[in-house]
Amino acid sequence: MSSTILEYAILIPLLPMMAFPVILFLGKMFNGTPGWVGKMKEGGFIALPVMGASLILSIWLIIDSLHGTSGTTLFTWFESSWWDPATGAITTKVFNVGIHIDHLTIMLLFVASFLCFLINVFSIGYMNTDPLNDNRNHRFYAEFILFCSGMLGMVLADSFLWLFIFWELMGLCSYLLIGFYYERPSAAYAAKKAFLTTRVGDVFLIIGLVMLWNLFNGHLEYAYVFNANNIAAVDAGSLQLALGMMFIGAVGKSAQFPLHVWLPDAMEGPTPVSALIHAATMVNAGLYLVARMFPFFAATPVGSMSTLAIIIAFIGGITAVMAALIAFVQMDIKKVLAYSTMSQLAYIFTGLGAAMWLANNGHMEAATIALGAALFHLFNHAMAKGMLFMASGSVIHEMHHAHHEAHHHDHGDEDDDFDAQSMENMGGLASRMPITATAMFFGSMSIIGIPFIGGFWSKEGIIAKTWEVAFLEPAFFIPALFVLCGAGMTGFYMSRMWLMTFAGKPKTEVAANVQEQTAWIPIPLVALTFMTLTAFIWAGLEVTGWLGNYDGGHFIGFFEGIWLELKHIFLNHDISLLLLTYVAIGLSMVLGPLYAMKLYGGRLDDGQVAKPWMNWLINLSGRINEKSEFDNSAWANSSLTKSLHKRLHFDDVYDAAVLKIVVGFANLAALFDTKIIDGAIKGIESTSQDASTKVRSLTTGSARDYIMMAALGTLLIFGLLWGVA
Amino acid sequence: MQTVEAFSSEFWTAFAPETVLLLGLAALFIIPNLGNAKLRIPLTQVKIPWFFGGRRFRLTGAAHLPGLIAVGTLFSAFFLATWSQFDDTFTATVVVAGDIQLLKIDAFSRLFEIIFLGAVFLASMASLDRVPATIFEETDEMEEMYDNRRQADLYLLMLTTALGMSLVALAQDMFVLFIGLELASFATYVLVAFHKESKAGAEGGVKYFIVGSVASAVGLYGLSLLYLWAGSLQLDVLAATWSTNGSEVLPIVALGFILVGFGFKVSAAPFHFAAPDAYSGANSPVAGLLATASKGMGIVGLIRVLIVIATPDVGAGSAIWLIALAVLAVVTMTWGNIAALGSTNPKRMLAYSSVAHAGYMLAALAAVGAWVNGDIEGPEDYGAAVIGAVLFHLTVLVAFKLGAFLVLGLLEMEGGASRLSSLAGLGRRDPLLATSMFIFMMALAGVPPLAGFMSKFLIIAGLVKVGVGEMWAAGGPVSFADIHWVWWLALAMFVNSALSVFYYLRIGVIMFLEPPEEGRRKPLPYGISIRMTIWVCVVATILLGVSGDFLIQLCYSAAETLF
Repeated sequence: MSSTILEYAILIPLLPMMAFPVILFLGKMFNGTPGWVGKMKEGGFIALPVMGASLILSIWLIIDSLHGTSGTTLFTWFESSWWDPATGAITTKVFNVGIHIDHLTIMLLFVASFLCFLINVFSIGYMNTDPLNDNRNHRFYAEFILFCSGMLGMVLADSFLWLFIFWELMGLCSYLLIGFYYERPSAAYAAKKAFLTTRVGDVFLIIGLVMLWNLFNGHLEYAYVFNANNIAAVDAGSLQLALGMMFIGAVGKSAQFPLHVWLPDAMEGPTPVSALIHAATMVNAGLYLVARMFPFFAATPVGSMSTLAIIIAFIGGITAVMAALIAFVQMDIKKVLAYSTMSQLAYIFTGLGAAMWLANNGHMEAATIALGAALFHLFNHAMAKGMLFMASGSVIHEMHHAHHEAHHHDHGDEDDDFDAQSMENMGGLASRMPITATAMFFGSMSIIGIPFIGGFWSKEGIIAKTWEVAFLEPAFFIPALFVLCGAGMTGFYMSRMWLMTFAGKPKTEVAANVQEQTAWIPIPLVALTFMTLTAFIWAGLEVTGWLGNYDGGHFIGFFEGIWLELKHIFLNHDISLLLLTYVAIGLSMVLGPLYAMKLYGGRLDDGQVAKPWMNWLINLSGRINEKSEFDNSAWANSSLTKSLHKRLHFDDVYDAAVLKIVVGFANLAALFDTKIIDGAIKGIESTSQDASTKVRSLTTGSARDYIMMAALGTLLIFGLLWGVA
Repeated sequence: MQTVEAFSSEFWTAFAPETVLLLGLAALFIIPNLGNAKLRIPLTQVKIPWFFGGRRFRLTGAAHLPGLIAVGTLFSAFFLATWSQFDDTFTATVVVAGDIQLLKIDAFSRLFEIIFLGAVFLASMASLDRVPATIFEETDEMEEMYDNRRQADLYLLMLTTALGMSLVALAQDMFVLFIGLELASFATYVLVAFHKESKAGAEGGVKYFIVGSVASAVGLYGLSLLYLWAGSLQLDVLAATWSTNGSEVLPIVALGFILVGFGFKVSAAPFHFAAPDAYSGANSPVAGLLATASKGMGIVGLIRVLIVIATPDVGAGSAIWLIALAVLAVVTMTWGNIAALGSTNPKRMLAYSSVAHAGYMLAALAAVGAWVNGDIEGPEDYGAAVIGAVLFHLTVLVAFKLGAFLVLGLLEMEGGASRLSSLAGLGRRDPLLATSMFIFMMALAGVPPLAGFMSKFLIIAGLVKVGVGEMWAAGGPVSFADIHWVWWLALAMFVNSALSVFYYLRIGVIMFLEPPEEGRRKPLPYGISIRMTIWVCVVATILLGVSGDFLIQLCYSAAETLF
């Protein structure tokens, strides 16, 4: 069979990993030289072909695997044998390196390698043209490529052990990348916060893995643990506990309530990093881990794991609404996107929770569709959000540039407090940055779920399936209600972001002078706009069914497929679900955007015309805004808004808790350390130094004394011999 | 097993490494002395070229020639010994003279040959750059040190040491063993004092000689008592006599004296006093040789006497030396480590550390004795395992202890290494060298995954296995009272290891964290051959730790030939 590509598949993560030291060392050696800066783009042109190669290999692997290749074990990593004190037997445990391929892997592999490649292209435009980054971009590219290696490796891993190893590699790299501008205290703080918060999850993840290892007799390979017979031999209660622990790890990585606090701060990193962490890779890792658990739910006894499924859905529902609420008041364009990411990931979690509940309660067919919808949303969200982040990066970059131009060329550094990321300084950019505006236009529509574009195909599925479960299991009503409300809220904050940035009159001098001019940046925007607009093709290919079933799936023909999807959404035979669909669409497409237009809409400057597909909307928003007498001051001054500005006080509470409990405990431990441990050590040290001086004083330097001592030794030996005899 | 007569033709091939050493010695005698001397036939004016003496030829007078000859010889000998170790057709060979067994080549003695020849080879190779040991004030004195004669002397002594050590490894008769021991010892006395211009060298050498002579005399007295008692010094005869009459007074007195003699060789406390003086006076490759191969000689002697002859497996009285050896072991390791803690001279510190290592090996020998004594039963041959661990320790010790001395040697080329502060700032001045020194220190401390960890682990594991014995299979010991006293040796060794980490790590602190001394800011001398030797040691330290399986197997099979 096609074993050849499988043998090379390990190169997909390995190539970037090998490029990591190369870029780092070459960067150290040639830092600042014209050839390195100009020709090699400070390492960007080393990273780019490597990521390209990974992408090509990934696509090759995907095409091959569509013809029936599944995973394989490549080679033995190491063997370990131990002596079991209970039985006295010596057992050998083999640790293998292998790759696992099913539909989930294929989808995420494509997402990761494709987006990593595009972000690399974007970085060459974004990072290398900012004087702030000069002479340290090699560090960026090295860490970037190691991060990509971590993600690709995690996706391809054939056991939870390797998944964890790459997971931690990503954690390390995200720390390094978020803290790229380590000289800024806020960046250093954000990096630390991200690392420590995800660490809380990771501790639980490793506890869960150890429990799983124990349950499955020392196996963490997918091939073993997903075997239905092996699952049947395991106590479902313990399994649920183990999976729950692992789920906490996913919560940390995917920034869900209550471990979500790191994600908005992580925006301190360079924008390509935000795109990388929030769209393509790290946040998806948590989803991937949870999606991987699906077979457990299908194979355990009916109802035995419902609790965990409900918890997953609840966490998702709560985060969806909470993040959307906070997004209402954010002024920083990247922070809006960060909260939007949180909210959308919460949708996926809710969908996964629903899928798992259905699977665990014997509704396998519905579970498949729910799972497929959730994963399809992952795909759509990754594409749209990657694009949105890069587009926001484009806006920030050009704002920065325009600010730099406007405020003379003499003082180049950040010595004034102009915030290039704040939407209060933007406005009216639609005509000045047509490509970026278009990308963001379609990206936002995809996230909102405007019919026929991107996320619409998957979001409807998630909402419908959650409600379907809610009719079976009352506990699901709350998450179901939350995701429904969240749809409308998404419509509001995404429209708000777009309108504040691109519609209306420029709010500052700088915004009026922005031009789209940096090379490289538009390429990924165009590519991802295309991906977003063509989501209907995947929908027509019955991708939900295909994704929902990791190994099987069927294809019924493109037009038939799309017809089935549409019929499912708009002409559902179940009247309550039908109603629900229209409510959801109404909320997200009409109500949310309408309010956003009332508050933030506005026409462009005279003489400025946006591209036709956006111009009508801008004009419409202007008209609505003028006609509206909507007064939101009551809302703006409410205490809820104030606490939303404070991010619902999560950070304050956490900081206080950390100060009280952790610092207190740390002080106690420090006291113990200095007084008792150090005291004991110092005591031992001074005693033995004294002893040493005494012992060495016996070495007088005189041979006569040496012989004397030898004679005493001889007597000692004879004494001992005589004593025994 | 095949038997050959001494000096027959098979003898030379069977003892190829030693033959090569003899040829090398002859070459060292002759070649550097070749010159344009002519011999006048008496009563005539006819002069015929005689070549021996006179003005040396340019080639034969070259300063590096003796060193190259010696290194070539030692390498050939080492290679031949190693080659035969991996030769499948290798059979044990006994050399007899009449009905007296003189020498025997088997897996055990061959392994020791390899250790000894390897150590002398590395030390000689490092010495190529290492004479002079210290740069004195005037540079012309340094020229003098490079003088060809002096070089020839040094390497003659090196080859003699190697030959004596081989003899010790191969000996089947206590008297042959003693001759080999003295051959090697006398050569090392001179090597220690070789540096006669420096006070420390001459003083250390003389002290080492005096104390060593006393110890040899005492040991020889013990041997003569043994001869008086058994009428022979053949190992097998002595062993047979011991198994029947071992509890008599005469052999026990003899054993006491012999313990003193070999105790000095392994520098066990309290016979070790001359060792720190000798190590710090000698130049570093020689000190490294003393700490590794010379100590190995003592261990061979002890194994022959204690395990082969005074086998404690028959009768209660035969186990008489166990407690004495165990006490000696604990005293030695503790003394060595405590003395090393406060040493401010790195060479003395390494000397004390080698005293501590001697204690570990003595503890292992005591454990073997206890196992053979039959107090303990276990599912496998723990005795061979512990001996194997000692052999492994001796082998890898050559890598990291000699390596550490060689790093100090490189510092001596720059102007001395007699204070810990001489090492200060090495991490900045020469990061690679500092890293290798740090690796050696970590290996000495027994940090995984280096070779020093494996060796220490094997010894401690062996001690624990012997100590817990048959209780192992029955689910482990219940109370401390059940445990054999050997277990406490393991504990003592463990505590001592923890103690020793302090002074090993201190070297790292000094190298990496402290600023270099005044006047030591220039780059270190290059010294290609000493650096190459250091690399070899580093690679061996790491490789034998990570994948030393084959060597451990080799040591185990060598140990099994003893039982």
